[in-house]
Amino acid sequence: MSKLTVTPSILCLLFLVGGCAFDVIRLEQIPAKLDSKNSCNISFILVKNVNIQLDGGYSRILKQGTKWNCIGRTVQGDVYKTKDQILTIEASNVFEAYIVVSSKKLIGFYLPVEHTFSVLDNPIDIVIEEFPRVQSINQ
Amino acid sequence: MKTILKTFSAVLVTVLLVSCATGPKFSDISPSIRDAMPDKGRIYIYRTAVLGAAVQPEVRLNGETIGKAVPKGCFYVDRDPGDYRITTSTEVDRHLSFILEKGQTRYVRLNISIGFFVGHVYPELVENEVGEKEIQQCNYTGQP
Repeated sequence: MSKLTVTPSILCLLFLVGGCAFDVIRLEQIPAKLDSKNSCNISFILVKNVNIQLDGGYSRILKQGTKWNCIGRTVQGDVYKTKDQILTIEASNVFEAYIVVSSKKLIGFYLPVEHTFSVLDNPIDIVIEEFPRVQSINQ
Repeated sequence: MKTILKTFSAVLVTVLLVSCATGPKFSDISPSIRDAMPDKGRIYIYRTAVLGAAVQPEVRLNGETIGKAVPKGCFYVDRDPGDYRITTSTEVDRHLSFILEKGQTRYVRLNISIGFFVGHVYPELVENEVGEKEIQQCNYTGQP
């Protein structure tokens, strides 16, 4: 094979590999059903910031003082959302997310548009102040 | 050499100026913008970055084209509450999925990142106080 045919082939391969590389950060998700009728009727305030390292190098902070209301349950845990900050998780694409908590550990995220659960590889202990959900706290 | 540099700079400035959004400053028209209907939510979409000015993909909302990612440009749409996905396409698709509630306002900033041949434009949901501030410097490119 001559250099004239090898060089374009290599360039073509590099182009294809390079093109694919932009889409490699995929968010692992599994289907999840949110049972909102079986609501946990609990709210909490985060006493400390929670630093989250996501796969793919992205990070997020759940801010101290934010109020989180339980809106339902999945098989994995209780699902909480807040109006005090925006929470998205990011890979090649960006997804609005609610947190999933079990035994006072942040174990992953519920993606309300996709109806999926994305697990955190390393669950994170969260320091919270719990109280029954009241009307004055917006969901 | 100096002449080449001057010419190049002039061309670059011209390209940037031509590529940027034209239209009234958002801060000038925002007082006259009506609130969304009570049963709807509002989504503001804006791009502050001039970097990659020539890259101006269409912005699609659940598959419907609603505008373009023009540097320093902004626009808004009012929609029923529900699930939404904003997508921009350059050499790759990038999307943002989010929930829009009744009476809610959401701000989506179109960021630019480096790509293989061209820059990638990716949508990001930002806090309202950030969006409200940043959009003021943009030019309104939506329907008058």
